[in-house]
Amino acid sequence: MTIETQEQNGITNITIKDEMTIYTALEQKNELAPHLKTDHELHINLSEVSEIDSAGLQILLFLKHEATTKNIDLSLLNHSQSVVEVLELLNLTAHFGDPIIISADWKSS
Amino acid sequence: MAKTIMIVDDSASIRQVVGIALKSAGYDVLEACDGKDALSKLTGQKIHLIITDVNMPNMDGITFVTEAKKLPQYKFTPMMMLTTEAGTDKKMAGKAAGAKAWLTKPFQPPTLMAAVSKLVLP
Amino acid sequence: MSELDAALETFAQEAEELLTEMEDSLLILEDTPDDSETINSVFRAMHTIKGSSGLFGFNLIVAFTHEAETILDQVRNGERSIDASLISTLLSCKDHTIKLLEFCFESPDADLPEDLQQTGDILIEQLTGQAKQEQLAVTTGTTEIENEGGDLSADNWLISLDFQQDALRNGMDPLSFIRYLKTLGEIKQILTSTPDLPSGNDMDPESCYLQFKILFKSDADKQTIEEVFEFASDDCDIKILPPDSQVEHYLNLLNTQTEEHVSLLGEMLIEAGAITKNDIDKALDAQSKQDPEQNEPAKPLGEILVEQQVIQQPVVEEALKKQEKTRQKVATESSYIRVDSNKLGQLINLVGELVISGAAMNLMVERHGLADVEEVATSMNTLVSDIRDTALELRMVQIGETFSRFRRVVRDVSKELSKDIELTISGGESELDKTVVEKINDPLTHLIRNSLDHGIESPEQRVQAGKPATGNISLNAFHESGHIVIQIIDDGAGLDSEKIVAKAINNGLITSAEEMSQQEIFNLIFEAGLSTKQQASSLSGRGVGMDVVKRNIEALRGSVNIDSIAGQGTTITIHLPLTLAIIDGFMVKTEHERYIIPLSMVEECVEMDAQEYEIDEIQHYVNLRGEVMPYLRLGDYFQNRKSHSKTGRESLVVVRFGQTKAGFVVDELLGEHQTVIKPLGKVFQSLKGITGATVLGDGNVALILDVQGLIRHATKNKQRIPSQLTSVA
Repeated sequence: MTIETQEQNGITNITIKDEMTIYTALEQKNELAPHLKTDHELHINLSEVSEIDSAGLQILLFLKHEATTKNIDLSLLNHSQSVVEVLELLNLTAHFGDPIIISADWKSS
Repeated sequence: MAKTIMIVDDSASIRQVVGIALKSAGYDVLEACDGKDALSKLTGQKIHLIITDVNMPNMDGITFVTEAKKLPQYKFTPMMMLTTEAGTDKKMAGKAAGAKAWLTKPFQPPTLMAAVSKLVLP
Repeated sequence: MSELDAALETFAQEAEELLTEMEDSLLILEDTPDDSETINSVFRAMHTIKGSSGLFGFNLIVAFTHEAETILDQVRNGERSIDASLISTLLSCKDHTIKLLEFCFESPDADLPEDLQQTGDILIEQLTGQAKQEQLAVTTGTTEIENEGGDLSADNWLISLDFQQDALRNGMDPLSFIRYLKTLGEIKQILTSTPDLPSGNDMDPESCYLQFKILFKSDADKQTIEEVFEFASDDCDIKILPPDSQVEHYLNLLNTQTEEHVSLLGEMLIEAGAITKNDIDKALDAQSKQDPEQNEPAKPLGEILVEQQVIQQPVVEEALKKQEKTRQKVATESSYIRVDSNKLGQLINLVGELVISGAAMNLMVERHGLADVEEVATSMNTLVSDIRDTALELRMVQIGETFSRFRRVVRDVSKELSKDIELTISGGESELDKTVVEKINDPLTHLIRNSLDHGIESPEQRVQAGKPATGNISLNAFHESGHIVIQIIDDGAGLDSEKIVAKAINNGLITSAEEMSQQEIFNLIFEAGLSTKQQASSLSGRGVGMDVVKRNIEALRGSVNIDSIAGQGTTITIHLPLTLAIIDGFMVKTEHERYIIPLSMVEECVEMDAQEYEIDEIQHYVNLRGEVMPYLRLGDYFQNRKSHSKTGRESLVVVRFGQTKAGFVVDELLGEHQTVIKPLGKVFQSLKGITGATVLGDGNVALILDVQGLIRHATKNKQRIPSQLTSVA
C-alpha cells in the first residue's frame, strides 16, 4: 500500500508514500478520491513523495478543487523537496495556501 | 536521484559519445545495440527517456518504440527518435508509433543535451 | 577525456569495418546492380560514418559523406541507377573517406590540405554532377540583424500553453518544458490553470488538463522560444506573443526587406522573425476551417494572426502595406517561371505516393468504420485528386510544337522525292504529358516519312488519277475519353489490300485472308516483316519497320490503327493516354486477385444473372441487348482455371477500345480507384494482357490490364466462328 490513512478526531490523515507520477496517478486518484466524500478535514502528508510530475500535480489540483467545491478542509503538509520545487516553479504555493517548511539540508542534496 | 536515459543505436561509437555526454551532465545511462537488445533490457527499472536510432539490425527503432509502448512500465516514457534530415516520413512514422521527440543526425553533443533537457532535466 | 579517446578508438574500428564492407558490397554490385540489400549496406556505411563523425565534430567528413549518402539514398529509392562508373566513383569515395578519417584522427582541428580538398571536390562533382560552389552560397542574410534584437526587448514575452489531453500519455511532461524554458531567460510570472478539469469520476488522471500563461523575459528570438516546445507541438496549443518593444524592431526589419523577398504576408513576417512557421500553419488552418455556410469572405490571414494573439496589429499593417507595393511591381513582370522537368517528375512521383497513401487511409477508415473520419477523408480525397490533376497539368504541353517540327521534314523530304506535298496541322492546342510527347516524336516521324514516301504519289501519277498535283498530309489531334488521338491523313494512293495479303501469305503471317475484314488486312502492315514497297527507299526502309512503330506506341499504352480507301488516301490513327503516371482505374476482383482496368475504357458493368444478355459458353461471345461482343473470363485467362464454380455471382465489365468492345467476366466489382502506374520489371515485361502494376492501399499489388491486348485475344477466339455469330446478331 503506497497510501496510508488514519482517522482521528474528525481528521483524515493521509500519507502518500511513493512518487506521484503518470505511472502512479491512476491508482492514487482512485484511492484518494473516496476520502473527499467525508465531512472530515483532510490532511495530506507529502513528506515521502520522492518525485512529482505534471500528472502528480494534477492530482493535487484535483483534490484541492473538489475539496473547495464540497467545502472540505484540505491541507497539504510536510511537502517534500520535489513537491516544493514544482509548486514554486508554477507559482502555486498561494493557490494551495499551505505553509511550506523548507528543510535546511535540501539545498545541499 | 539521477534520471535514467536509455540510448539504443547500432553504432558503438554513437552510444559511447552519447553516453559520455549524458553521464557528464548527471544522467544515468543504459545502452542497447538494437531494438531487440533494448526490449530485453526493459525489465521494470525506471527509465525517464529512451533515445533510439531508426535504422538498426534485428529490430528497427519504430518497431521497438511500438513494442516498448505496450509495456505498462514504459507506456508513458518519452521516446526520442534519431532521424536523418531526409527522413521526414520516418519522423512521422516515429511520431505515430509514440516517439514524439526527435533529433536530426548528425548532431553534436550540445544539440543532444538541449533536446534531452527539454524532456528531462538531470 | 580518456573516455572520449576510447570512443574515438571505437569509431575508428567501426569505420574501418564499415568501409571494408562497403568495398565488398560495391564489388558485388558490379555483378548484381539491383540487389537492394547490398545497396542498403553501402548506404549504411556512409550513413553511419556521417552520423558518428558529426558527433565527434569531424565536419569535413560529414560534408563529404553527406554527398555520397544522398546519392546512395537516391539509388536505394530507385531514383538513380547504379552503373560501373558510379561504382568506381563510390570506390574512390571509400578511399577518400579513409584518408579523411586518418587526417581527422591525427589533427582534428587543422584545415584540410589542398590535395585532399581537391580530391573531395572532384569526387563530389562526379557524384552529383555539379560543382560544389552552389552549396557555399546558401547562407541566410537575416541572422545578423536578428541578433541585434536582443537589446530592444526590454519587456516580456507572453507565452500561453494549452496542453491537449494526450500530452502526458505521450510522455510529454509540461513541467519539463517549463523547466527548460527557464534556461533561456527568466519566468516573471506564471499562471497555472485547469479550466477544463472535470470533477469526480470524469477526471482521468492520465489526461492532461493543464494550461499555462507565462510572462517571460528573454533575449532569445521567437524561433528559439518556440523550439522549447517543439516536441509538444502535437500535444499542445502554443501561442507566443512578442514583447511590445519588439514591434518597432519588426517594423524596421520589414522596411529593410528587399523586394525579391516580399511575396506572401506570412513569409514576410517569418523573415522578420515576428512570427514562426508554426504560427502561419495554424492561422492557415483556422482560415480554412471557417464555416462555409456563413458565406462570408475568408478572413484575411493578418486578422487571424492578430486574433490568435501571436502578433500585434501594427506589424501586420506595415507588412500588408509593403506587400501591396511589391505586388504592383511584380504584376508587370513575366508570369512564367522555368522549372526543371526533373523537379516536376519528382513532384508527380510524390503525388503518386500521396495517392497510394490516401488509398491506404481510406482502407483504414473503412476497415475501422470511423464515420467521423470518413468525412475528413472524403474531403482530403477530393483535394488529393485535385492536386494530382494540377500536378499532371503542370507537365502538360501542347502537341502543336511537335507538329510544327514536321513542316521541315515534309519540305525536305518532298524536295528529295520531287513530290509536291503540303502539310496541314489542326488541333495543335491539344495537350498531353511531356513524357508522352517526347516518346511519340520518333514513331510520328516514321509514320509521316512513310506517308510521304509510300502514300503520296508523284505529281504526274496524281494528275493522271484526276487529283490535284499537290498532295496533302494533315496532322490532326483531339481528345477523346481520356486519350489523345493523333491522326496522320494523306490523300495518296491508299493501301493495296491484295498486295498486302499476298505478301502476308508469302511471309507466313496468315494462311488465307478469307475471314479478315478490310481493316484487319490493313493493320497487317504493322506486323514484323511486311513492307509492300518493292524497293525500300532510303527514307522509310531504314531497318525500322512499321512493327517497331507499333511496338513503341503500345509501350506508351497506346494503339495505332490504319484505314485506307484505294485511290483516295490513308488515315493512320494513334490513340495515346494523356499521361504515363497516374490513371483513374476501375478495380475488379477475380479468384482473389485484384486487377485494374483503365476507367476511361470501361463502358458499363452488368450483373451476370441479369436478363439483359445471352451468353454462349462455347463460342465465347455474349449478346448484350442485341449487341454481340466477345468475352473473356479473367480467371481463366490469368490462372488457367479449368473449371469455375457457379456458386458466386459474377459480373460482366464491358470495355471499349476504339471501335471494338469486349466483356470481361469477373467475380467482384470493387469500384473506382486512383491508380499510380508502376512499370513492370524486366522479367514480367513479356507477360501478355498486363501493362503495369500498382500498389494498393493495403500494400498488395494489383495488375493493370492491357485492355487492348485482351480485346484482341478475345476477338481472336471469337473469330473462329464468324458464321454462327452473324446469325445471332
